[in-house]
Amino acid sequence: MSETLASLGRFGQFLGRVAWRCLTPPWNGADFFRHTWTVSIRCLGPVVAVTFPFGMVIGLQGLAIFDLFGAQRLLPSLISVAVLRELSPVLASVLVAAQAGSSYAAELGSMRIKEELDATEIMAVDGLRWHVVPRVAALILACPILNTVGNLAGLAGGYTMAVGIQGEPSGVFIANLWVFTQPGDLVAGVIKTAAFGAIIGLIACYHGFCATGGAAGVGRAVNDTVVRATLAFFAANYLLTSAMFG
Amino acid sequence: MNALAWLGGLVWFVWDWARVSLLRRPPPGATLAEAYRIGVQSLPVLLTISLFVGTNLALQGFKAFQPLGGQRLVGMFVAMAGVRELAPLIAAAMVAAKAGTEMASQIAVMRTREQIEALEVMAVNPMWFLVTPRLYGIVLVMPALTLISIFVTLLSSLSVSVFQLGLNAATFLEFATGSIRVYDLLAAEIKAMVFAVIICFVSCYCGFVSTKGPEGVGAATNRAVVVSCIACVSFNYLVSQVLYG
Repeated sequence: MSETLASLGRFGQFLGRVAWRCLTPPWNGADFFRHTWTVSIRCLGPVVAVTFPFGMVIGLQGLAIFDLFGAQRLLPSLISVAVLRELSPVLASVLVAAQAGSSYAAELGSMRIKEELDATEIMAVDGLRWHVVPRVAALILACPILNTVGNLAGLAGGYTMAVGIQGEPSGVFIANLWVFTQPGDLVAGVIKTAAFGAIIGLIACYHGFCATGGAAGVGRAVNDTVVRATLAFFAANYLLTSAMFG
Repeated sequence: MNALAWLGGLVWFVWDWARVSLLRRPPPGATLAEAYRIGVQSLPVLLTISLFVGTNLALQGFKAFQPLGGQRLVGMFVAMAGVRELAPLIAAAMVAAKAGTEMASQIAVMRTREQIEALEVMAVNPMWFLVTPRLYGIVLVMPALTLISIFVTLLSSLSVSVFQLGLNAATFLEFATGSIRVYDLLAAEIKAMVFAVIICFVSCYCGFVSTKGPEGVGAATNRAVVVSCIACVSFNYLVSQVLYG
């Protein structure tokens, strides 16, 4: 119990130090853009590969339900509501936590284990400022971008299922797509995913930066990152959803 | 091209495992220990995640059905979406994140320390020795974890519906229990076992083919969770299409 509290306290300290370096110059702009680019490219495939089949599954199950009421034309509205409000932000962030979060933890962790971080610190290079801040900031920007891609892929999955496989008319699908959705849903998705990106980045960098115990320690850091980041942003998701849609 | 080679390697790995170990008894005592470890490790994470999945299902269902005047349908929505799709998938994602990454990093560390080569030298087949107990263990506990996840999801969405959204508990329960069939639960269990097999083979393969050293361990763990998640979601579509299509 006291160990948990102590590590929470250490995380709080880490948070404060990173926040301070986020707000004060100098900023490492080149690394920030480089990380944003790599994260977006590396997560693009996984995000599409997960949201597309999920859109298809919503189409499949939604059709089964709406067939009961003879209300198949509501299907596209349901798909767009489900994808834009909840599924794409959450699934994209799960994949970012799994792909980018764990690779950050692995990178920083192996730099710590090989004492590269200690070496740079001795050369008066601030590790937090040069390695952690650009990564966290990159995730805050990359998550909304990937969420947008996830939105498109999810809708495409639903369209493929409803029109391509089940043979619903395409015009009806397009016409009913935006019945229940508002621009506010897109904004809410961006706010949510930016917050998730910050949570994932901070937790991943904390575990990588503070890794101990050789190669096994790196594995443990990656493992803890994925689990704790996912837990934290699911909890944040409930709070944000309550605040914005409640 | 690399991804194709990797996939081919995975298929070869599964075949290699099956050829040696399918008809052979697992190492004595290890299966139950693995099952216990995987189950107990994943349980707290799973409970927490399911809790928040349930709360959000209720919130979003309420919000989506409000313009139709169908707030009473929240129970049905939660039951169908939760039992059929979300609870099995979320359970799989969390087991992949917790137990799957653990398998990958353990085996990758053994690769780094050349313990796998040591097993081979002792004429113990490393796939039989390392993969079999993990596979049987995870297949054993995954259905149970999925049932727990379903239960917690429904319970938390019931509490949100009643205490936060002010719906009637009796109506919620009536619609919820009315729309869950035994068939849905069986389908969720089948999905759970499929996901368990996927997670185990993907994670163990990532560990086996990892490069040595801390980067190798990190990369193997990273790849294990990403590929498991993608594979589970894709196979979820296939299983849903077969069982509900």
